[in-house]
Amino acid sequence: MKIVVCIKQVPATSEAKIDPVTKRIIREGLKAIMNPFDTYAVEEGVQLRDKFGGEVVVLSMGPEKALLSLREAISVGADRAILLSDRAFGGSDTWATSYTLAKAIKKIGDVDLVICGKQAIDGDTAQIGPGIAAHLDWLQATYVMEIEEANTKSINVKRMHEDGYDICELDFPAVLTVVKDINTPRIPTLKGRLASQKIEIPVWGPLDIGADIEKIGLDGSPTRVVKTGAPPPRNTVTKIIKGSPNDCAKQLVRELRLRSIL
Amino acid sequence: MIISNNIDKSNYSNVWVVAELLSGKIQPVTHELIGAARSLADAKSSQVWVVVMGSNVEEKSDLLFAFGADKVIIVDDIRLSGFMDEIEAKMMLRLIDKYKPETVLYAGTTRGRALAPRVAVVANCGLTADCTELGIDPVNGDLLQTRPAFGGNIMATIRSSNHRPQMATVRPRVMKCPVPDLSRSGEIIRENIQDSDAIKIKRIIEIFHSDETAVNLGDAQIIISGGRGMKGPEGFKLLRKFAASLGSAVGASRAAVDAGWISYANQVGQTGQTVQTKIYISCGISGQIQHLVGMQSCDMIIAIDKNPDTPMMQLADIAVVGDLFEVIPEIMNEIPKL
Amino acid sequence: MQDHIKNKVYHVEILSPKQDSEKLEADLEVFGQKYNRVIESGYCVCITDNPMGYLAFQGTEIIEELGLTVYPEQVMIHLNTFHTKENLNNILDACKSIGIKYLLIISGDGSERLPKLQPSDIGAKGVESVTSVELLKYIKDEYPDTFTLGVAFNPYEPPEHEFDKLQRKFNAGASFIVTQPIIEKNNIVDELLEKYPDVHVIVEAWMSKRLYLLSDAVGYEIPEDTQFDPIETLKMLHKIYPACGVYLSILGFKTQYHLLKDIWV
Repeated sequence: MKIVVCIKQVPATSEAKIDPVTKRIIREGLKAIMNPFDTYAVEEGVQLRDKFGGEVVVLSMGPEKALLSLREAISVGADRAILLSDRAFGGSDTWATSYTLAKAIKKIGDVDLVICGKQAIDGDTAQIGPGIAAHLDWLQATYVMEIEEANTKSINVKRMHEDGYDICELDFPAVLTVVKDINTPRIPTLKGRLASQKIEIPVWGPLDIGADIEKIGLDGSPTRVVKTGAPPPRNTVTKIIKGSPNDCAKQLVRELRLRSIL
Repeated sequence: MIISNNIDKSNYSNVWVVAELLSGKIQPVTHELIGAARSLADAKSSQVWVVVMGSNVEEKSDLLFAFGADKVIIVDDIRLSGFMDEIEAKMMLRLIDKYKPETVLYAGTTRGRALAPRVAVVANCGLTADCTELGIDPVNGDLLQTRPAFGGNIMATIRSSNHRPQMATVRPRVMKCPVPDLSRSGEIIRENIQDSDAIKIKRIIEIFHSDETAVNLGDAQIIISGGRGMKGPEGFKLLRKFAASLGSAVGASRAAVDAGWISYANQVGQTGQTVQTKIYISCGISGQIQHLVGMQSCDMIIAIDKNPDTPMMQLADIAVVGDLFEVIPEIMNEIPKL
Repeated sequence: MQDHIKNKVYHVEILSPKQDSEKLEADLEVFGQKYNRVIESGYCVCITDNPMGYLAFQGTEIIEELGLTVYPEQVMIHLNTFHTKENLNNILDACKSIGIKYLLIISGDGSERLPKLQPSDIGAKGVESVTSVELLKYIKDEYPDTFTLGVAFNPYEPPEHEFDKLQRKFNAGASFIVTQPIIEKNNIVDELLEKYPDVHVIVEAWMSKRLYLLSDAVGYEIPEDTQFDPIETLKMLHKIYPACGVYLSILGFKTQYHLLKDIWV
């Protein structure tokens, strides 16, 4: 089974410090980590490869320091990695990013399965997985919580829904996005990490993947961010409710009605 | 097959809502989106259309008109039982090509978030996920889409100036549900799946419905969170009942997890999960900075505690001073099932 | 552990290299040097387990990779509940095979990246979550007569809860205690010593001048510009708690280490 796992390096927002004045997360100088959802994708790819043979290629679009996350993937069992990095890719929205990744997957060739994490914790869009599937015109299954069965031609997956779940069978080639229920990602061992440092990771640009210049980077992005800002400041006035328990409950419900919460 | 997006924007008008169906029933989020679509359409004197795709779709289109739709496109086909994203995407692309909507809104649910990107990619148009605000740019009429990023710590406003349609997903309970006007009526259009839509598809083997899906912290709209003040695992039993009555998830402070009263999967805070829900109800959590870091981006914070002076009670929008074990049952009596 | 206190053996904490280090070989070399220096001084090396939830390499992995010598009386390994069952057993087996005697069992800090032991993994019944208590019991049961197990004591948590937890830790098999950092006479620690006169207690000394970093641990905001002399404080701790061992965290190997030999006399 030839598997490509797409990963993204993201800022470690959970480790951020809070600015004591604004009470907001300080984003500068944040460490970069592999997107947590992607660790599940890597683990699933490695487990499938161990079961069915084949290879796991990890792919990422990002700056040079994303090489660290690619190495982390190798240190937990991926066979090789490719970094898509070029100034021309800068400013990509999800359309252009999924286009770029799709071209790279085509270039890798003969891929059976693409696995992505559900979403990235910085952008939170969950659009890349289905976007790649659409660019490639491949089948997709999102919110996959379990792989029931697989063979060289197809895969059966359990998809999570708000009202339960379903089991679908997809012929290869296909794209899966996975949720955290699917496995427990292994922690890199020191041996694995030291071995991964010796593996060479090629860096590809637009020419390497035959990308249409008009479809990558800022120019290829249908959406533009026009502004970013802090969320509206927290209301600093606290409404205090006290009295008998029954009083409190009634006052609370009244207050929630007033604020159109109920 | 890429539909070229060198389009004439003036050919595109009306705001569409793709109905969210679960088990063949149209979900409340659809009505919320119709409400949002109505405001956008009114700003441009255009119409709201709702697309309903499914099998044996319960025809509640009269309700859709009541909530503000002008037209309803119904695509009813046995091949759409279960969630068939590839077929729905191909159908949407043909509908978009035929009717040229200016804006398409999807529910930010597992289905909407799987379907919308497929459509947006092939239609070569912009898609913004999980919008909390939608507006119209007064100068050029573009859709302004505002959404949180970085765990809710920044708000980004996005637009698609040169591509149509403009697409966005919106999570349930973000937009207000409009008051239905049963005197409203509209037109039903029936469209059909073409065989070519259903050539390359997956096969759904089994479907399981569960009435009680555990709400996980990441997707929850409401979180009821307990701390040391819950005094023990019994306290969390009460919180679970409370949470069940509101359809909410249960969270916990580190102190409660360290004491073994609840699983680490429920922990909110610096060494647990960061959440940004609509409503965070804190019960007996003092509010150490490591906990606050994990939840202070929530829209509304309600704190219940005996002590009125804790950091959490001071941070809260509403602070209820009282004995948790007496106040919570009373609240459960007062709040009608949502 | 008694000998450590009698013989004035410092417990010196060394952090293992973080997994995201961009200069891992260099970090490993520094670790090895610190390790050997502590051993040569006759002190006890204490190696952490993913502190603050940051992914770091395991002490046992590093010892094996670098071929460091383990003197059972001079090495203590931290072990927390944020592991898979398989991982946990691998670490315990490795500890056993390389001769590690002292383990400090703590609940630990989690993070997105770290797995967590489930009660069913270690046969713990009637609990929602695995804490150091359950982990202690598991180790005592699965590896009898193999390790000497210590636990943490936090004088900054509500005392009733903390003493209650401590008693459960003793019941589960703990035989020594390491406190959170103490910077002055602490009446909860005094109470601890009174309640448990026969237990080996090691107080943690904060060796960094940046006292405000302790704000998280103590639960209240310490101003950033607070003046703090770690060496003087250490001397004072020896005077106030002469019957206790001392655990040194954030020790400056370049600036402070050479002073140690003249302090605990």
